[in-house]
Amino acid sequence: MSNKISRRDFLKISGIGVTAAAVLTGCGPASRYVVRQSYVDMPEYNQTGKSTYYATTCQECPAGCGLIVRTQEGRAIKVEGNPNHPVNQGKVCSRGLTSVQGLYNPDRIGGPLQRTRGDRSSQPLTWEEAVSTVQNGLSNPEKTAFLLGLMPDHLFDLVTEFSETTGAAAPVRYSALGTLEGRATLLAASKKMYGTDQFPYFDLSAADVVFNFGADYLETWLSPLAYSRGYRKMRKQEFGKRGYIVAFGARQSLTASNADEWIPVTPGSEGLVALAIGQITARLKGQTIPALFAGVNLQAAADAAGISLQKLQQLGQLFANAENSLAIPGGAALTTSVGYETAQAVLGLNILADNLGKPGGVFLAPGTTSTASMEAVKTLIQRCLDGEVDTLFIHGCNPIFELPDKLGFEKALEKVKTIISFAPFEDETALVSDFVFPDHTGLESFGYQRLLAGTDRSTYSSIQPVVQPVHNTKSTVDVLLAAAAAIPALSANLNYTDEVDFIQQKISSLIQAGGFFTASEMPTFWSKWLQFGGWWKNAANFGTPRDATKLDLELNMNTPQKVTEGEEFHLVTFSTQMGDGRGANRPWLQETPDPQTTVTWNSWIEMHPATAEHLGIMDDDIVEITPIGGTNTIEAIVYLYPAIRPDTVAIPFGQGHTALGRWAEGRGVNPAKLWSETTNQAGELTISDTLVTITPTGRRRPLARQESRVGVYGDGEH
Amino acid sequence: MAADAKSLLNGRKTAHVETEAEELRKEHLMLDPMPRDEMNDMVMEAMTTTTKTYWVWVIGFGIAVAVLLFGAWGYMIATGMGVAGIRRPIYWGIFIVTFVFWIGISHAGTFVSAILRVFKAEFRRPFTRAAELMTTFGLAAGAIYPLVHLGRVWVFYWMIPYPNARWLWPNFRSALEWDLLAITTYLLSSTIYLFLPLIPDLAMARDRSTGIRHFFYKTFALGWRGTEAEWTRLRKAIGIFAFAIIPVMFSVHTIVSWDFAVGQVAGWHSTIFGPYFIIGAILSGVSAVVTILYVLRKTLKNMDYFIRLEHFDGLGKLILIFSMAWAYFFFNEYLLSWYGGEAAVKQVLTLHATGPTAWVWYLMLICNVAIPWLFLWNKKVRRTPWLMFIITLLVNVGMYAERYTIIPLTLGHQRSPFDWGIYNPTIVEVSIALGTLCLFIFLYLLASRAIPLVPVWEVQEGQMAHSIRKVGKTEVPSVTELE
Amino acid sequence: MAELLKEQEETQKWGMVIDMDICSGCQACVTACSMENNVPFVGEDEMAYGRGLQWMRIRRYWEGEYPEVTPTHQPMLCQQCGSAPCEPVCPTFASVHSQEEQINVQVYNRCIGTRYCANNCPFSARVFNWFDYETPAPMNSYLNPDVSVRRRGIMEKCTFCVQRIVHGRQQAAAEGREVEDGDIVPACAQACPTDAIVFGDLSDPESKVSKMSRSDRAFKELEELGTQPKVIYLKGGKSYGG
Repeated sequence: MSNKISRRDFLKISGIGVTAAAVLTGCGPASRYVVRQSYVDMPEYNQTGKSTYYATTCQECPAGCGLIVRTQEGRAIKVEGNPNHPVNQGKVCSRGLTSVQGLYNPDRIGGPLQRTRGDRSSQPLTWEEAVSTVQNGLSNPEKTAFLLGLMPDHLFDLVTEFSETTGAAAPVRYSALGTLEGRATLLAASKKMYGTDQFPYFDLSAADVVFNFGADYLETWLSPLAYSRGYRKMRKQEFGKRGYIVAFGARQSLTASNADEWIPVTPGSEGLVALAIGQITARLKGQTIPALFAGVNLQAAADAAGISLQKLQQLGQLFANAENSLAIPGGAALTTSVGYETAQAVLGLNILADNLGKPGGVFLAPGTTSTASMEAVKTLIQRCLDGEVDTLFIHGCNPIFELPDKLGFEKALEKVKTIISFAPFEDETALVSDFVFPDHTGLESFGYQRLLAGTDRSTYSSIQPVVQPVHNTKSTVDVLLAAAAAIPALSANLNYTDEVDFIQQKISSLIQAGGFFTASEMPTFWSKWLQFGGWWKNAANFGTPRDATKLDLELNMNTPQKVTEGEEFHLVTFSTQMGDGRGANRPWLQETPDPQTTVTWNSWIEMHPATAEHLGIMDDDIVEITPIGGTNTIEAIVYLYPAIRPDTVAIPFGQGHTALGRWAEGRGVNPAKLWSETTNQAGELTISDTLVTITPTGRRRPLARQESRVGVYGDGEH
Repeated sequence: MAADAKSLLNGRKTAHVETEAEELRKEHLMLDPMPRDEMNDMVMEAMTTTTKTYWVWVIGFGIAVAVLLFGAWGYMIATGMGVAGIRRPIYWGIFIVTFVFWIGISHAGTFVSAILRVFKAEFRRPFTRAAELMTTFGLAAGAIYPLVHLGRVWVFYWMIPYPNARWLWPNFRSALEWDLLAITTYLLSSTIYLFLPLIPDLAMARDRSTGIRHFFYKTFALGWRGTEAEWTRLRKAIGIFAFAIIPVMFSVHTIVSWDFAVGQVAGWHSTIFGPYFIIGAILSGVSAVVTILYVLRKTLKNMDYFIRLEHFDGLGKLILIFSMAWAYFFFNEYLLSWYGGEAAVKQVLTLHATGPTAWVWYLMLICNVAIPWLFLWNKKVRRTPWLMFIITLLVNVGMYAERYTIIPLTLGHQRSPFDWGIYNPTIVEVSIALGTLCLFIFLYLLASRAIPLVPVWEVQEGQMAHSIRKVGKTEVPSVTELE
Repeated sequence: MAELLKEQEETQKWGMVIDMDICSGCQACVTACSMENNVPFVGEDEMAYGRGLQWMRIRRYWEGEYPEVTPTHQPMLCQQCGSAPCEPVCPTFASVHSQEEQINVQVYNRCIGTRYCANNCPFSARVFNWFDYETPAPMNSYLNPDVSVRRRGIMEKCTFCVQRIVHGRQQAAAEGREVEDGDIVPACAQACPTDAIVFGDLSDPESKVSKMSRSDRAFKELEELGTQPKVIYLKGGKSYGG
């Protein structure tokens, strides 16, 4: 239907947009069939030498920021933020900016392939053959499984609908980024403490004192651009009020380094610290100490964290005396065996601070979500091992790279008869698949994304192609629908002609749902939807968390693991601009220096200079890292990092690819090889419980850093 | 007159006088006259003797120039400046170091020749030509570098002010533009200054050669016959050039120093850089003269007669004096930074002495100060040619280290430590640097057999003016004013 | 003379204010700049040797001792000096002051690569094309047609996104109005997640940059050198306010 809009309609529609912003979207036919044209044959609105701007949604991470992509002569030139979008309000991060390097990556898969597992050779297929392969898989729903990424997008909705219709297993979702964020734990704890399946939104903008337990909200956590904006507002409050941030964590992240105070606590002790602060706060406020906080021994908590009792008291006073105190749980604090308890304790602090639903406090981001927990992944692995999976569809996830080796995912795959990957790049998982049916990259595809964190209002962000597909790729939704159409049992229930039809049917309920624009019928709605980059409510409709437990619960908070000083180390894995690893094939993401270390193009292991001296290790030495109780070892280059606990080492996630193209392969290390496979109460991998030993190898290799070692550290060597 | 002096001496033969006069003759070339024909033949013989070894050297250095200089340079042009070791923030490396080095070397030629000529330092006579050749060839080797170091050498002519349709002119405020003009001027004037005294000697060679050589000498002798009028004009021309070239020489190296001094770079922006560079240039140049004289004495026929210990002695004293002067300026640099009090400059200078590349700084001080001061006060050392050869070579190593310290090491430690860098020359850079050294030697090798390396007429003129006289009971050298 | 000065004042004087109090150091500006201006990537070895071509860099220094250690992040780019040390030293006028934009421009076509300007830049803001850097097809499709790609042997640096300034001015002229504050935004300021980078006309006392530049936290990097930078930093970090 969309391709029937006439040019007059288009002009009429685009007139509406003038008021909105300097956003010139192609609508209807324009966007559906955008062509990389020769200069002499352009769509008539597309003037040679003039740029056309399309609104779409960033697909680089689940935050779902709105983008405006500048195109010229049918090429995507530059990614900019959509100023009207409620998440990022015109801002864009390094990952979004380099998405054109994904689109035009020379290492993309050009079309559907049949391949031999574990081998680099492949034979091209036609899309008809591809669809019939998918059809074979779908025709036996009990024996299929879907493994998807974290994006709450239309593909997820379609697959969910498919599994609901057929009784197949619900799609499993995984992303290492989610693990690094402690997403599942946060959501589970939020449900427990605030009584709802929604992500809490921590309103930095009006907070006086923020206690941040491990959330890297300026880098990758949940919705970094929304939180960056909050951070800005917090620093620029009225009357020169600037807020005060205290960051807890064994390693100083970029977020922690922008805090006013960094408290290097032992990994795994964050929960105890939160409980202790709760107890002090309650006491100072003259309340009866709630059960949640009553049980903790202050001295024991301080000892476990490795800080002084005096400091703890001082922090407690700070939290208690502030007008608007806020506590944020996230990241490494949650990916421990006590992560779930920690998250509850920290969320409990907000209840104690009485900031629920108040400016500078905690809100609930609109839109419920289901947890993507590791338990589901484990179940999937078990199903594979039991031979219950004949066809495994993998989309938007690279499990071979992102899952701990100890889980045995790769072994489980051997039991699966057919593995179909929809990866646009030849990643590690595509290499062990039987078929690769490449999906479009984000800038070539249609879709929508429900935004679950980082937005203050119900938001559906629209995805539209800004250029014609570069290669012979096909949207996975189209492939699935085409395959389903040939299966009578499915076609009756999944009655969609194609991807656009599916999307339009899904969003038709939004037409009259009170968004910032309305329309009388779908074609008009659709063109506005594409033009504005989505649909959202006129005003904020935050949810208010409720105090579901009255803080009347007791947590069994174990003390953190002990390490033998100077021999064993806590391993912190932190996320970088590489995200869940898919950024590693973007050369400009590789070349953009890490903010803290200025290292480019490689991985490193951060180590406190005193620790290194004790071990006889110099900057740029290569060390071998062995997990305690594990056999996998990795080698990484040492970066002497002054802002890390001496009993902790840290490795960034995202490098160490064995596939994914020329810029990603053979570069750095993948710490997932070391992760323990155990999960916490919320079903999250307890990656921060990993303990390692360090052995120098005697070799060295200078890291490609932007800083001058001799200048910044006074090192003699270069 | 020379003959007179000889007969005069021969006429008074007493044992005592004999020894004293002989000693003087042995010591001073000017007092040890030789018949003109004999001397002419000696020079001709030195010039025309080409052994097999000589040709092996010539071909060897020719190939070295082709490979090391033009091969490496060609590779760099085709690939990009990146094959050199320069990087942010050290955008100038040993190309510019070697450039300054060669310009410095080329100084002494003129200095020795023109200044000593103006001040009538008679011991200069036998080696002015060798020194002037060094100037010209040193400049030739050095002048390559402004081209070599360009990122886009194929458009180098944009630096030349020439009329063009776009009205684009070079920037006359840029020190590099001054450089271009100064070096061109110096190259032209020093070549003329080399050529003028060469004319009578070329005529001498013309009269004693046949074939292609004859044709060559005939052409360049410009029909010299040696008439009174010709001599008068030649003297006048040489006189003018000797005076004129001195300010040119001072200005050229001052301008080279301005490449650095007009920049805001901490450690460059200094008013003493002009004289500092000139003194450094003369120090390295005079040292290079000694090095070359030693080699000439060893390899050219009949040179023992012309180049004597007195010359090593005299030049050795000069080197000692200039080493002291250089040390003063070196000290002055620190003094200025001390009372100037700019933190960045202080930091740069401190880092030179204490940083990871402090060995360069120490090498510079040892070679430029310690070694000359320790050895050159000693007459015996000054009169031992092989020792002088080693010392002067070391002085030039030290001067190279000085330029290395001033250029890449200073650039590497600027105001923002985040951007500091350490520079490692690559094989391509080293190869080009060695290539120009080979070019210099190659040109000198060719010239040594093509033109009279000793200005015969000047030596003869000097010998005519000098004689040994008896005053009372002792015999003393005396000199007649010729002009 | 007075008229001349007045006239100079009336021309737009583009400037930038970077509030280091809210700059988180996230490097989005670095990537944005590189993607906008066709800055080539050079790879690991060249980066390791200090030959990255980023026009914008975040200088990171550590302050304090563990556990009070913290980094400072300072975005460093061409300061578009009013009295630029790079300009007089260029023998071919490749580094010149633009009368119209009042910024320091690099004329790539006129550059012969003496690199003198880079030596003389106290901010180390200039970068040199050591090689011809390849962007393998089809990745070259995203190159910005408004910005020249540079070949080897040429100096380059931040241009304040002059293509956007020109475009903004033309757009305003086409609409028959003056350029308004906020019309023209360079790529770094556009991307900056905390809006720490603000761009505008310093000659207009009412513009946002002018107001911010009058802050008592304002300072210019290496102001004592007298280069009159047009990038103004607002002092930040934990030592201020709080």
